[in-house]
Amino acid sequence: MTPVEWAIVALAALGAFFSGVAAIGIIRLPDVYTRAHAASKSDTLGAVLTIAAAALALETGLSTAKAVFLLVFMFLTNPTAAHAVARAAKDQGIEPWTTENDQ
Amino acid sequence: MSADEAPGLYVESTIIMTTVRVVAPFVLTFALFIMFHGADSPGGGFQGGVITGSVVMMLAFAFGIDSTRQWLDVRIVAALASGGVLVFAGIGLGAIALGGQFLQYNVYKPYYYEASKYGIELVELGIGGIVASVAIGLFFLLAAGFGYVTGEGER
Repeated sequence: MTPVEWAIVALAALGAFFSGVAAIGIIRLPDVYTRAHAASKSDTLGAVLTIAAAALALETGLSTAKAVFLLVFMFLTNPTAAHAVARAAKDQGIEPWTTENDQ
Repeated sequence: MSADEAPGLYVESTIIMTTVRVVAPFVLTFALFIMFHGADSPGGGFQGGVITGSVVMMLAFAFGIDSTRQWLDVRIVAALASGGVLVFAGIGLGAIALGGQFLQYNVYKPYYYEASKYGIELVELGIGGIVASVAIGLFFLLAAGFGYVTGEGER
């Protein structure tokens, strides 16, 4: 395999790993803020790495440019959406989860 | 939430406003791209119109529904919807008036050499205008209902 193919495989595998982390986080974490944390950070990284793999795999040209645009906007909008969700939750008066709630 | 803060009062966030300000022109361009490419690739007036409507919803989320209402008069939205219907019906019935079928674009050929292509584009634009304005109008109606209910909640 060429170095570019290795890079594609590595990026796709890392992207799948981080998407899996995000999915586990959304299921396992206790409240809306921690879930937004998992959804924004890991999911953005997973999506961005997977799109980067796709951008490398596509032949150079318009498709790569589109994938790079998609990557940039994913990187911009996904954390902003999580921020908006967390803000709206704070506006609604939802208390963050702490270890005291467990005892 | 503190007690003196009115329920449903939205304070703008700098992060959301900046992101929306950066992203909105690109999303609008993308909506037009989808509309114009509907004839020969995936996409079309419906999808493009929904994306156009979502830009206005995004602006409303970032800057508050009231300032969006002031910026985008309901009459403009209604004019966009009826204008879209007029474009669609005009092109469709105009073909009948020229002796063809409804939406038979090639009867316009004597007046413009790429009549079929631009006829489809115009109809897609009309559909996009209808879908966008209906989505925006429904959103405005839903937002008005929410404000009304929270206003009533004072009693």
